Order: sequence, then structure tokens, then C-alpha cells
Amino acid sequence: MTSVLPRTAPITALPVGWIAEPQLLRGIGSADLVDYRAHRAQSVPARRLSQADLLARLDTAGLAGRGGAGFPLATKIRSVLHEGSRLTPFVVVNACEGEPASAKDTALLRFVPHQVLDGAMICADAIGAERILVAITDHEAQLAVSAAVASRPDAARFEVCPIEARFVAGEAGALVAALSVGSDGRRNTAQAVPPGRRVLPSHRGVDGRPNLLSNAETFGQVAVLVGSSPAPAAASQAATRAPSTTSPRTAARTSTGTRLLTVTGAVRSPGVLEVPDGVPLAQVAEAVGARPSQSVVIGGYHGTWLPAAMLSELTLSAAGLAGVGASPGAGAVIFVGTDTCALAELSRVVGWLAAESARQCGPCSFGLPAIAQGVASLLRATPAGPTATGQLVLSRAGTVTGRGACAHPDGAARFVRSGLAVLAEDVGLHAAYGTCRRRDQGHLALSRSAALSRSLALSEAALSEAALSAAALSAAALSRAGGGGMGMGAHR
Amino acid sequence: MTASQPAANRRPATGASAMLAVDWTRCDGHGLCAALLPGAIQVDEWGYPILDQSELATRPRSELTRAVSACPALALRRA
Repeated sequence: MTSVLPRTAPITALPVGWIAEPQLLRGIGSADLVDYRAHRAQSVPARRLSQADLLARLDTAGLAGRGGAGFPLATKIRSVLHEGSRLTPFVVVNACEGEPASAKDTALLRFVPHQVLDGAMICADAIGAERILVAITDHEAQLAVSAAVASRPDAARFEVCPIEARFVAGEAGALVAALSVGSDGRRNTAQAVPPGRRVLPSHRGVDGRPNLLSNAETFGQVAVLVGSSPAPAAASQAATRAPSTTSPRTAARTSTGTRLLTVTGAVRSPGVLEVPDGVPLAQVAEAVGARPSQSVVIGGYHGTWLPAAMLSELTLSAAGLAGVGASPGAGAVIFVGTDTCALAELSRVVGWLAAESARQCGPCSFGLPAIAQGVASLLRATPAGPTATGQLVLSRAGTVTGRGACAHPDGAARFVRSGLAVLAEDVGLHAAYGTCRRRDQGHLALSRSAALSRSLALSEAALSEAALSAAALSAAALSRAGGGGMGMGAHR
Repeated sequence: MTASQPAANRRPATGASAMLAVDWTRCDGHGLCAALLPGAIQVDEWGYPILDQSELATRPRSELTRAVSACPALALRRA
């Protein structure tokens, strides 16, 4: 129960902060909240809720999963309950945070683990699950959760499961495969790759049981919700009926409360931030000391590039981002500064995504490297113009979408498409001159420690010089091309 | 991973419900399915099948079944 993977990386400092009133992170810093008694002393009493009561509260709040897909938790619970399996369900807490630009689940488990464990226990009691598996990749978080569990009166119901870190390890199917007891009677942590046939964990998950599998923050939000809100009046009626008639999308939009972000890139203070759902992006930029940015990546490396011009109008919620074709994903927000070569950043990350393929599926293991190679070639001067290469990349992005055991090719394709759309001007500069006179500053980091380090801080002078130089080049390119128009900006 | 984004971006079954499905972890791109169902299954530049579900819906069941049983990797199945 307390097995922990050997440490593979040095401990990374993990700055946390908040805008407005913190809910999940409440009391952080005032006590060692890994200890159960300390947690209870500053939190509401532990509660057991009936199924109906919990579902009514979740429906009212519209709580959506915080792992990326934003699926309503109440719908997920109903699908576990209506499975009709004779086997007792499991609750599975997914804290396999494989995204380098995300550290929010790790922060929760390191600093306020009982918020997550309380929420998971509330769900387990409501759905009649005996066991709760907590799947964690971060070494420090494994230690914190093991200590946290040991201090709880209900420790026997938790199992802390270390998982090898990998980008695709947190995919639900991969996690189920990794956690299921193998023929040797042990949970196999080595095989965290997505299975060929998609089966919903709520239908058949770990050990063949129905699983309520969700992201760590989602369970933390359950604890906050149950601790803060009185029972809604119409509780019992609404909850016992079969699947909700509200569509998942509509339900997700009513989500309120807070949201965890991991804000990195061209900022003075990178870190994990608890914000009110729907916070203006500009307010987040101010809180972390964002430097002048040319674009922002929302939702991490399976997410969406957006031009900085949108910075002032965007709000961070499912509804606020849906209009621009983005979603909060798992809450990773990356500012791409004006001093970096964004095309080189894009190229580097796409190469990394290709390397992170589990190499199980042909379209992903051949397609992503081909896409990465195409993007890399856009960095070089091309007398004939970038259009043909750009079109080939976009066409390959279309080809790989939907053709894998998991959504890795889809996410990578979305990242590339939106990136090339936002960086059309840079693509033109590189085709003409082979450079935009900026270097890759590593704003899109490939490791958590790099993402959270503050060494990116450049002097303002160096920054404006690089930006000016690029602007001058850009003006030159526009006059040369007779008004620009590289023919790629329209593709999304 | 934080990978599971909204299902909206997954390739739609172009109106028709899916007729055939590929287990991408098994498919090795042998290409027999594309040879047996020309016009409904094409191969991409690496030899892996691209299924046109609405076109597949117009084909006789027996042709679909034949393609399924011909797959040397047991990767093709009725959806």
C-alpha cells in the first residue's frame, strides 16, 4: 500500500497561488495539511452522502471532470450505477499528470491530499464502492499521499498506486490496463498504454469492475462542493431518475466554483493557480506577471494556440473558450512571449509529441513524426514559399485524427493546426529568410521542472529588442509579398 | 496524460453509424481490407486503412464480413 517508485527526477519546487478566495487550497501554508487531524481541524466534518443527495448537488453545480475532457461527473456516476454489474465498483483517482505544462494535480496531492481523498471517499460511499485506487506518477506526491492515507481512520480502503510517468499513461484506458491485477497477482505499472478496443471504465474498468475514474482535481472539487453547499431542495427526486436529460455540453457550461490552472511560459511567477471559473485571462496574466506575449496556448500540448489579440477578451471556462474553438482542458495555460521564435517552439513540442507516441498504432507512429518533420522544415528558407509544406502538414494532421487507440494523434493534430493558423506570419518570415531573428526561448517546456523554473526572466531591454527586430522583419516581409497572405491562416 | 479532450474532434462517422472498426494497436497495414472493399476503404501514405463509413453502409453485409475475416492481423471488426 505504500510502495513508491524510485525517484527519477529531482524535487521540483511547486509554487501555488490563487485569485480571489481559494477553496481547494484553503488553509495551505497555515498547517501541514498532509496530516489528517490538521486537515479536519480546518475543514468541515467528514460526511456521508446518499447517492441521490450527491447526484443532486453535482447536477446543481454542473461539476465537470478536470482531466481535460470536461465530462459531467454526475453523468459518469450514473453510468457506473446503471451498469448492472454484479461486481462492486472501484473509485479510481487519476493523478497521472503526464503533461509537462501541468502540475495542478501534483500540487493538490502534495499539499492538500485530503481534499482529494475526502472527495473520493464521498463518491465511494455514495456509489457503494469499497476500494479507492489513487494512481500517481509524481514521486513527492506518492510520498505525501501515502503519509496522508496512513493518517486517516479509513486508510484500509485506499490503495496508492505508483505509475510510470509517460504522456499517454493518464489516458483512462491505459490507466485501467496499468492498474488491473495481472496473472502474477500484482498491479502492473509497466503497461500504461491505451488498449486497442475502447471500453469505458464506468462499464468495465480495473479488474473488470465498473470504475468511477476521474481526475484528482475533480474529486477535490467534490469535497469542496459537499463541504460548502447545503443540500439542494429537490434532491431525491432528480437524482434517482435514469441518465440526465441535460446534454453533457449544456451541463458542463453551468460549472461554477473554482478551477486549477498551471500557468507557465513567459511569466515572472510560473505555478499552479486556483481561480474562479470563468476568470478573465487578462487577470491571470497580471497575477503571474506575464511578459508581452504573441500568443497563448490553452489546454497544454493537446490544446489550442490563440493569438495574443484575444488575450483581453477571453475568459477561462468551458463556455468562455468554446467560442474560439478551445477548451480549458486540464488547465494548462502557456504564455508565448514576443521574444521567442514561436515556430521553433511549436516544432520542438510537435517533435516531442511524436516521440511520446506509444508506437502501438500505425497512423500515430508514422504520422506524428512525418508531421513533426514537416513543421521543422517550415523553419528553413523555402524559395517556393511555405504553402505546399504547410498544406501537407495540415492534411496529415487531418489523416491521423480519430485513427488511434487513444486521442494522442487527435490532440497533437489540434495543437499543430491551431499553431500554424496563429503563426502564419512567422511561417512566411521563415520561408523568406529562414529566420524570424528570434531564438527558441523554451517557453513551451518539455519537463515540469523547466516549466516551473523562473530562469526565463529576461531583461526588459533584451525582450523589446528581440520583439522590435521581429516586427521590422515582419514589415519587410509584408511589403515584399505585397500584403502578406501566406495562405495558411484560415485553417483550423 | 491530460489527453482526453472533447469527443467532438474525433473523426465523425460521416452521418452513418459505424459499420466497421479498426483496432489500431493490431493493424499492420497489410491492406487486404482496402483491396476487398475498393472505394469504401483507402489506405493512407503509410498503408493504413481509411474507412468511409457511409460508403461501407451501402455495401452488402457479406462483403464486410469477408473483409473482416480476411484481415491477417485480426484488427478489423464489425462495429
